Amino acid sequence: IIFYIFSTLYFQLSFSPLVPQENAGQFFSSGHTNNWAVLVCTSRFWFNYRHVANTLSVYRSVKRLGIPDSHIVLMLADDMACNHRNPKPATVFSHKNMELNVYGDDVEVDYRGYEVTVENFLRVLTGRLPPSTPRSKRLLSDDRSNILIYLTGHGGNGFLKFQDSEEISNVELADAFEQMWQKRRYNELLFIIDTCQGASMYERFYSPNLMALASSQVGEDSLSHQPDLAIGVHLMDRYTFYLLEFLEDIHPSSKANMNDLFKVCPKSQCVSTPGHRTDLFLRDPGSALITDFFGSVRKVEITMETINLTEPIQQRQKETYSYVDQLPVSEIIHQKPKQKDWHPPDGFILGLWTLILLVFFKTYGMKHLKHIF
Amino acid sequence: MAAPLTLLLLVAVTVRAALYRSSLADLISERVEVVSPLTAWKRVVEGLALLDLGVSPYSGDVFHETPLIIYLFHFLVDYAEITFMLADVITAVALYLSVKDYNKQVFRKQKYALEADRYPLDCLELIRSPKEMQYIPLKVAMFYLLNPFTILSCVAKSTCGLNNAVIALFVLSTIKGNVLLSAIFLSLATYQSIYPLTLCAAALLYLLQRQYIPVNLRRFSFWWFVAQYAFMYLGSLFVIVGLSFFLLGSWDFLPSVYGFILSVPDLTPNIGLFWYFFAEMFEHFRLFFLCVFQINVFFYTVPLSIKLKEHPVFLIFMQLAVISIFKSYPTVGDIAASFIKHHKASSASSLNIFLVSCVLLACSALFPVLWHLWIYAGSANSNFYYAITLLFNVAQILLVSDYFYAFLRREHHLSHGLYLKRKDGSEATLVLK
Repeated sequence: IIFYIFSTLYFQLSFSPLVPQENAGQFFSSGHTNNWAVLVCTSRFWFNYRHVANTLSVYRSVKRLGIPDSHIVLMLADDMACNHRNPKPATVFSHKNMELNVYGDDVEVDYRGYEVTVENFLRVLTGRLPPSTPRSKRLLSDDRSNILIYLTGHGGNGFLKFQDSEEISNVELADAFEQMWQKRRYNELLFIIDTCQGASMYERFYSPNLMALASSQVGEDSLSHQPDLAIGVHLMDRYTFYLLEFLEDIHPSSKANMNDLFKVCPKSQCVSTPGHRTDLFLRDPGSALITDFFGSVRKVEITMETINLTEPIQQRQKETYSYVDQLPVSEIIHQKPKQKDWHPPDGFILGLWTLILLVFFKTYGMKHLKHIF
Repeated sequence: MAAPLTLLLLVAVTVRAALYRSSLADLISERVEVVSPLTAWKRVVEGLALLDLGVSPYSGDVFHETPLIIYLFHFLVDYAEITFMLADVITAVALYLSVKDYNKQVFRKQKYALEADRYPLDCLELIRSPKEMQYIPLKVAMFYLLNPFTILSCVAKSTCGLNNAVIALFVLSTIKGNVLLSAIFLSLATYQSIYPLTLCAAALLYLLQRQYIPVNLRRFSFWWFVAQYAFMYLGSLFVIVGLSFFLLGSWDFLPSVYGFILSVPDLTPNIGLFWYFFAEMFEHFRLFFLCVFQINVFFYTVPLSIKLKEHPVFLIFMQLAVISIFKSYPTVGDIAASFIKHHKASSASSLNIFLVSCVLLACSALFPVLWHLWIYAGSANSNFYYAITLLFNVAQILLVSDYFYAFLRREHHLSHGLYLKRKDGSEATLVLK
């Protein structure tokens, strides 16, 4: 009996301890088994300090909640910690008065500086990397991975600027996610973007199991939070600042769900209106935990009993995910019927030739007509 | 006369067919001197392709041909080369027949004038005899068919050849005296490009003359004839435009064809004068200068018809020359049409034919050179090309005025004697003022 009570003290997810054998199938058919994070900062130059600070603070939270460095792809377009203009080298602060150094001493940046390009980002997402790419630079997710993708930088209506020289468009991003879906590279994907007009970036998504959050709607600018007078630049963007505050309260066993995340940074704090998109997400957002994406929480059920798995495990039938019908495949596979050629209308031909004949006979006299008839 | 004409036709057709088969055909059909946005074959094919795709060919700025051309080439697009050769042949034959007929009338008039003793005695050498005029029709046909400009225009499959054919048929029917056909062909020519409208006056004058109706504004018969002709002309024009509406079911060929000719939106360089001027024109003044340029084409009708009312056939050719110089998108095919009758006037009276023809030849040779330098080598600019265009047009104008002068001088000699004397008896020469 003591062992039985002991087993209930640990983390469980709607798991009835009474009949373990019957629930073993439910256990094995859980949603995701591993977590990945792709955190991208797309701007360079000292005055874009806050974008690096944004990304590093999300990185810090994600690591704290359990995702290891091997499962995080961190892309920073510029080095703020060792920038010549940084009065406090080897630090990146996210709060003014240098309260919180998000750089720390165990930051692993996978793509740095000029390696952060649209092409590299899309290759990381879709997995189309050259064979020589090291594992740390790859997103080795599978169909049971929950992926968190966080983008920050300067953006506009339908695009995000990379390195001040190129852009990724919302259509490209949507197509990349569709490729990921088709190659079964994710189970569920949470997309967070903190740029101006960020909502435009998730407008074009069409693959299932995507949830998206943005810091501002189309037509609005995302604003930065506080400048630090000693460092001389703005340290964080508002949305990510309040997101970080929210995440500081999350711990690995937290039951906070996505609906709480949608409430982060209302208009009174953020000035812009954060948006979210859940129509492609097949679960109810209220049932998706924060730690499903931000942490690496394993469903662990510790029991001292032995369970005989004699019968084949009946996996709970997942709802079959269907593709959003994007391409009229049948039309592409089968040739389009040849266009009918244009023909002049019959009335025209009739009229024209009647006139020609009339003129002909008028010129050459009526006796020809008489000869014919 | 049939045999030499047939021989000439065969030679011309052979030359054109040989050029079609060579690699020059593609090269020539892209030269801007030979094709213009109005007449390019590429655009005809493009328009027909658009029509096959179910889109109106007049949407966009590609196709500027009339719907009757659509109808014609819908069935003949695979036989395009034969069509254009046939058009050239028809033009030549029509010119041949018309010149022959005109010669007969000239002889008749001369005979009457001789009998009426209207010629001064010392200008007998100026009177044309049938013997020297025997080969003139053939020469006219040859001049047109073997003209390098015509051959270039035919090989490029520019629809200018069709326009020339219609104008030649108009000339033929006018000279033969057939009022209905003349009106119909003139309306067809006007339908194709607006400028043959100016030939209306010349045709009217000729037909009036032929029917012995004096050109007296107070007489009823004059107005009655004018009304008849105008009715036939305008009627056939409306019928043709209406038929074109029924071909495609919409009126959007009107702005595409006539709006395009009149408002000159396309400023591709050609051998005319419009493009350079309008390329540097301020938008504010564009309409004004557009009106000025277009009126310039039509304006010469009035003084020329007043001056040449006794010689309407010459007036027709003068008008053709004026049109081909001043129209908005001239090509060398139009130039060829304007050269038709020019050899006929006696060359002894004209001053500087040699100089002018040398200039024309040199300019024609320089056109591709300066184009290459401007577009490909980049060491010249549009001013060079425009300079040659200007020179070419000036040479043409000089040619036209030269023939005009020669013609008038001949007429003057015929009425006042060959050796001109001033009132005090010293020798005088005629000067064209």
